[in-house]
Amino acid sequence: MRFKRAWVTIFVLLLVSPLFGVILAEIVGYHEPLDVAAELLGKKDLTEEVNWTPFLDYTIPWLPAEIGYIVSGFIGVALIMFIGFLAKKASARAKAS
Amino acid sequence: MHIPDGYLDPTVSAATYIIFLAYFVYALKFMRKGFSSEKATLLSVLASGIFVAQMLNWPIPGGTSLHFVGGALAGILLGPWLGFLTIFLVLLVQCLIFHDGGITALGANSINMAIVDVLVGYLIYYVAVKYFGKRGSVIGAFLGGWAGITLAGLACGLEIGFSPSFPYGVSVTVPVMTLWHLGLGIVEGAITASIVAYLARRMPELLYSGVRV
Repeated sequence: MRFKRAWVTIFVLLLVSPLFGVILAEIVGYHEPLDVAAELLGKKDLTEEVNWTPFLDYTIPWLPAEIGYIVSGFIGVALIMFIGFLAKKASARAKAS
Repeated sequence: MHIPDGYLDPTVSAATYIIFLAYFVYALKFMRKGFSSEKATLLSVLASGIFVAQMLNWPIPGGTSLHFVGGALAGILLGPWLGFLTIFLVLLVQCLIFHDGGITALGANSINMAIVDVLVGYLIYYVAVKYFGKRGSVIGAFLGGWAGITLAGLACGLEIGFSPSFPYGVSVTVPVMTLWHLGLGIVEGAITASIVAYLARRMPELLYSGVRV
């Protein structure tokens, strides 16, 4: 399997991701640099007021934040892989015709 | 770097969407030409890796954080057009599924990370390898990653600064965003260079296919 090491790395990073995205973030109380700058300049983030997804900010309803973060990561990777698979199929079909 | 909903004025939001869509349409013919089954696999792996890397927020004491963006790396590995598609795919999934980055700012975020970061990273790497051969590869990747994210920050500063409802203009937002990313960009450059150095040893065919060395 080509890119086996890359997939293993992605899998491991997904498993440790809550350490950075949830646990350390809560300890340090971080915001994205842009959010910090915008807050200083008085701009309002409407993300929570105008929301359409149950997976807001990599959370899964009913799951603890850490587990939800990992599951969100798998959902994202699965979607990207699915789109890549469709693109690969389309490319093969275009070449065959 | 991901602009959320509420930061951009509707006019700026519409303008950035138009620029992004025009670039997308222009890039399509180059994407089709360079697309293959092999490239589709690399694109999926790279987009997945960048998506996960962007989830790894490194909190910085003082209340901010940084994460790898990966635009320059995508440009280096897949070229400017498929690199653009790679980062756009990541941004699209982040925006639609996790609302990370606003839907009204998807055009702007795509300009910053999928166009500016990718193009700048690719061009600097290309020039470094073209003139210095394989010796220029790692330093080209470092400078590409650094400059790419810095100029993406500059573009972001322009977009929020040109929003008429914003309390400060570009004279404030551009220096704030550019200087911030000039510092954070060192880490982006270092990670990009590390990955390129690793690939140069393990899978060099991924690095030099678009550049005569």
